[in-house]
Amino acid sequence: MAEQPCPEMALPAQVMAADNTEAFPLHATRRGSQPPARGSEEGKPPLLLSRRNSVLSRRSSFGVVPGSRRPSIGPWMFHRRVSFSGLPLFQPILKTRLKNTYRMGPDEGCKFNVGQVQRMLEGALASALGTTVYSPQGSAPLAQSVVELLQHRAKEVVPPRYKLVCHVVLGQQGQQSLLVASRALWDPATDSFASATFSNASLFAVATVHGVYFE
Amino acid sequence: MDEFQSGEEASFVVDEVSSIIKEAIEGAIGGNAYQHSKVNQWTTGVVEQTLSQLTKLGKPFKYIVTCVIMQKNGAGLHTASSCFWDNSSDGTCTVRWENKTMYCIVSAFGLAI
Repeated sequence: MAEQPCPEMALPAQVMAADNTEAFPLHATRRGSQPPARGSEEGKPPLLLSRRNSVLSRRSSFGVVPGSRRPSIGPWMFHRRVSFSGLPLFQPILKTRLKNTYRMGPDEGCKFNVGQVQRMLEGALASALGTTVYSPQGSAPLAQSVVELLQHRAKEVVPPRYKLVCHVVLGQQGQQSLLVASRALWDPATDSFASATFSNASLFAVATVHGVYFE
Repeated sequence: MDEFQSGEEASFVVDEVSSIIKEAIEGAIGGNAYQHSKVNQWTTGVVEQTLSQLTKLGKPFKYIVTCVIMQKNGAGLHTASSCFWDNSSDGTCTVRWENKTMYCIVSAFGLAI
């Protein structure tokens, strides 16, 4: 058992450290029947299990072989399988294949309706901020809650297959001036935006919702 | 036969976009003091410069860039944004910039096609 070549020794050392919390039955497996541990890409649980067992049987001879790698905790620790060189093996990501809808653009009459969204924005801002007073600590969470509210309302009004970007600027009413500008690179036939402003004695708010069609 | 992701699909790289925005702001309003008559021009300049540089990246993205310029007068300002999109492919980057007389906040959103 002491004749294992160096690289093969490194592999079991790391696999051993990864599994050291579990208790294995200590029995030696026949090494001849195992295919060489050369980075099995496909998931084969029986192979891994038998490899684990063979690690323990070699534990005693680990420190003897010169040039073997010290088991160090590295990124591979979090991966259940390691390749032949000791680097973690990532599970291949299966891409789900969806049926082709052959749809090139939104359906007729199903586009981003600017007027409707603008009316919705004005109504939502007025109801959310009607009599609110500006305060430095309270306005940050207020801005976040307003923008989330607007997003929920926008989702109800906007047709399906549209991605939304909602943006709110909330500020204290003072003697300053402010300008909000936006520009977008998109398909003007299907994509658009709507914006609304609101102000009372102590604060002002500017809300914009951009709708982008997702092909 | 299962298909695997190639890993070469374009994604929104925040650092790259952030540096593009900073350059655009510096170029358009770098050493200027707030002037009401010029603000329109400045916001347009910042947004157009950002958008053209983003386009040059050549990625399959639709972009939305917003810019807020406010005069420094002691008033407070908050911005918030919320997006309904695909988390794995879309992203956003916001840059805050200021000088002695004004604040400038630029947000860039990238949505994968």
